Amino acid sequence: MASNSPKLTDSVQLPSNLDATKTFYGIGAAGLIASGVGLFLNSEQFFFSYLTSFTFFTSIALASMILLMVHHITKSSWGTVLRRIPESFISKFWIWALFFIPIILGMSTLYTWTDPAYVAEDPIMLGKVPYLNEPFFIIRQLIYFGIWGYLGYKLHKVSVEMDKTNDWGLVVLLRKLSAPGILLFSLTLAFASFDWLMSLDAHWFSTMFPVYLFAMSFQAIFPIMILITFWLHNKGMLKNTITQSHIFDMGAWFFGFTVFYAYIAFSQFLLQYYANIPEETLWFYFRLEGSWAYITYTLLIGRFVIPFVLLLGRDRKHNKTLLKYTSILIIVLHFLEIHWIVMPVLHDVNFAFSWLDITTLVGLGGIFMGLFFSTFKKNNIVPTSHPTLADSLTKQYHQ
Amino acid sequence: MSKTYEYVPEPALVKGNHDFSSITALVTDINMRPTPKGWYIAFAISNMLLLVLLVSIAYLIWEGTGIWGLNQPVGWGWAIINFVWWVGIGHAGTLISAILFLFRQGWRTAINRFAEAMTIFAVMCAGIFPAIHVGRIWVVYWMFPLPNQMAMWPNFNSPLLWDVFAVSTYMTVSFLFWYVGLVPDLATVRDRIKSKVGKVLYGIGALGWRGSNRHWWNYEKSYMILAGLATPLVLSVHTIVSFDFAVSLIPGWHTTIFPPYFVAGAVFSGFAMVLTLMIICRKIYNLEDIMTVDHIEKMNLIILVTGSMVGFAYLMEFFIAWYGQVEYEKAIFIIRATGPYAWAYWIMIACNVISPQLFWSKKIRRNVTLTFIVSIVVNIGMWFERFVITVSSLSTDFLPSSWGYYSPTIWDVLTYVGTFGLFFTFFLLFLRFLPMIAVAELKGVMPQADPHNYDENGEYVEPKVEVPEPKKLNS
Repeated sequence: MASNSPKLTDSVQLPSNLDATKTFYGIGAAGLIASGVGLFLNSEQFFFSYLTSFTFFTSIALASMILLMVHHITKSSWGTVLRRIPESFISKFWIWALFFIPIILGMSTLYTWTDPAYVAEDPIMLGKVPYLNEPFFIIRQLIYFGIWGYLGYKLHKVSVEMDKTNDWGLVVLLRKLSAPGILLFSLTLAFASFDWLMSLDAHWFSTMFPVYLFAMSFQAIFPIMILITFWLHNKGMLKNTITQSHIFDMGAWFFGFTVFYAYIAFSQFLLQYYANIPEETLWFYFRLEGSWAYITYTLLIGRFVIPFVLLLGRDRKHNKTLLKYTSILIIVLHFLEIHWIVMPVLHDVNFAFSWLDITTLVGLGGIFMGLFFSTFKKNNIVPTSHPTLADSLTKQYHQ
Repeated sequence: MSKTYEYVPEPALVKGNHDFSSITALVTDINMRPTPKGWYIAFAISNMLLLVLLVSIAYLIWEGTGIWGLNQPVGWGWAIINFVWWVGIGHAGTLISAILFLFRQGWRTAINRFAEAMTIFAVMCAGIFPAIHVGRIWVVYWMFPLPNQMAMWPNFNSPLLWDVFAVSTYMTVSFLFWYVGLVPDLATVRDRIKSKVGKVLYGIGALGWRGSNRHWWNYEKSYMILAGLATPLVLSVHTIVSFDFAVSLIPGWHTTIFPPYFVAGAVFSGFAMVLTLMIICRKIYNLEDIMTVDHIEKMNLIILVTGSMVGFAYLMEFFIAWYGQVEYEKAIFIIRATGPYAWAYWIMIACNVISPQLFWSKKIRRNVTLTFIVSIVVNIGMWFERFVITVSSLSTDFLPSSWGYYSPTIWDVLTYVGTFGLFFTFFLLFLRFLPMIAVAELKGVMPQADPHNYDENGEYVEPKVEVPEPKKLNS
């Protein structure tokens, strides 16, 4: 045995006192019950808030999925020790899919294109009927969630199986899953973004929209992984396994995709603003008038300018305090941005924040994190048998 | 999961039994050997083509842009197509040298020098077109915001002006990046070359490099900073090129996905061009140990990914053209697929979307001949993509009464063919006089550079992770 073989010295099992599954399920149930009350008080607000919160958590799961698949096909090693975090977000995606049902039930409230009277008198809407109709919408959702549920389940299962069997050949299987997975993922994400968010304003269209949703979500996945890592470190877990170098890598990705997000979001805005065609600019008009404008500027400054300036320096990309606060900022603003996409359809003049936004967020968040912990606690929290593990463990941060 | 797979460790980046000195010799001897005959022949042909370019430009300046096939309503033709095509080809160089550097991809070291050189020459070819297309070339300096007594400024709202800044910045940074990377290798040639003149010339280029710790420290810092600068630049250049089209109201041009779609297309065509040239060079200069089939496979994967991204963008455009229910948008996409330029459209689809899908097969990815063919097919396809975008949208615009058909004249063709002369003239000079592989960087990714994981007897051992005790899982 070579003298400098890397050692996995940390415990790789989540102690039971850190298992927050039940706590989160409890919080989730409470939040959902409270939201249920809201359904009777203000059903319209309920559905819009629910869609916002659902999209927020789903986007995190989807970003985890693409991150994992890219990690597999590029045979990367930087994230091997971190991999169980995104894997646990997606392994039970098929259960999470059930929480889409309320959106289907609320379709007629959420989407104007479900109203036959409205469609009948609008020639543009009539033209869209072959795509925007209720049965086809539901069929599409089954396809999306079917594909994502399968990919999520399988990517996690094969990875965990490698821990048990020590069969490195399974990395080939993971790659064989990921390559077509990425293709299917891009197509389903694209049409899902049209269905859930773009068709809220059934006239508006933008070919960039899927890329925009992807860029947003991918920027937000790194703050989430960073915060979970800090939490684990705080509890004394994986301190020698996830090191400064991994934190730096996440910081670098975070920074990189902050710029990418800004690039995509700005390009989409600029092209529609510059061309100035009414059917396109209306979407931005609603978001640049009234108090929605403040949210727009908050997003511009908070989601790009602040993290860009703060994380630009090399040493700052692994500064724990800085990363912690920037991460919290981005996660909050990711929610706010989805809110900013969804809510002007309901409250078209001024920014309106409802208590239902909070309860649905807490309710769905509880379930989402509960599903996460139920998976996370069951398996090794670091893959213990993987060809790239040695590289990942010995990664050094060079000044 | 009845099927089992076998784990294959990553192959070494350099094949053959090379050590540091044999790598140095393999690469830099090319610069020191007497010039081969074949090189003179190739250089002569390139020079003739370059002459064709010069004559075409001279005639253009003498006679005016009327010698091209432009008409009403097609006011943009081969010049912009060639400009976008050449700029796009340049993008692979920066992707390989800067972005793959930031992603710590060791395999880039075999091809980065080569690809960066290609970038610079491709951008030079591209830059010719905006400069010569202006009609009155003697006032071309008006493109720059120079203080002048006429108080006449360029239109800062126009993406065509942004292009001037974007491309010139990109060119400058690419050149600096390339040169910084060259310094240690120029020093190597300086130290090895016998000729007196060569020693002086390479010595000037090497900026007094002695390989001290401090030199390396500065080198790595500046290389990192330039990589960081080049990365957003590679996106910005083609983004602004796409803005040239996308900010307008022309159906088929105005669509928001254009920026990332153009960037993906650029990387796609650039990788294809790198492959074409690299497959020839590795053969001629016996560099198959460095530019291995594994490298070709990795590049083919990038071609597959970017080709599919381009396909994805075509699909989005098509879908949203229908979904948006804007009459003109719908019409232009139907006209593209069935109208007077349908032949070009289907060439584009076949070359860009379908041909790279061959690379799903590992066998084809590792087949050098097929790769060579596909790489050329892709470049043809990407030229036609720009042709379809530019010409089909303009020739059938809003008013059917003003529709027209565009065909190039001999001068369009000669100017384009001539740019290959410019490109290959410089490229051949590069191959002859500069080390075409980043020797210093390549050594850094060889196993000798990382002397770890040897057992007591000095034998190499795969690193293996020690796990405290095999955990039984509570499933």
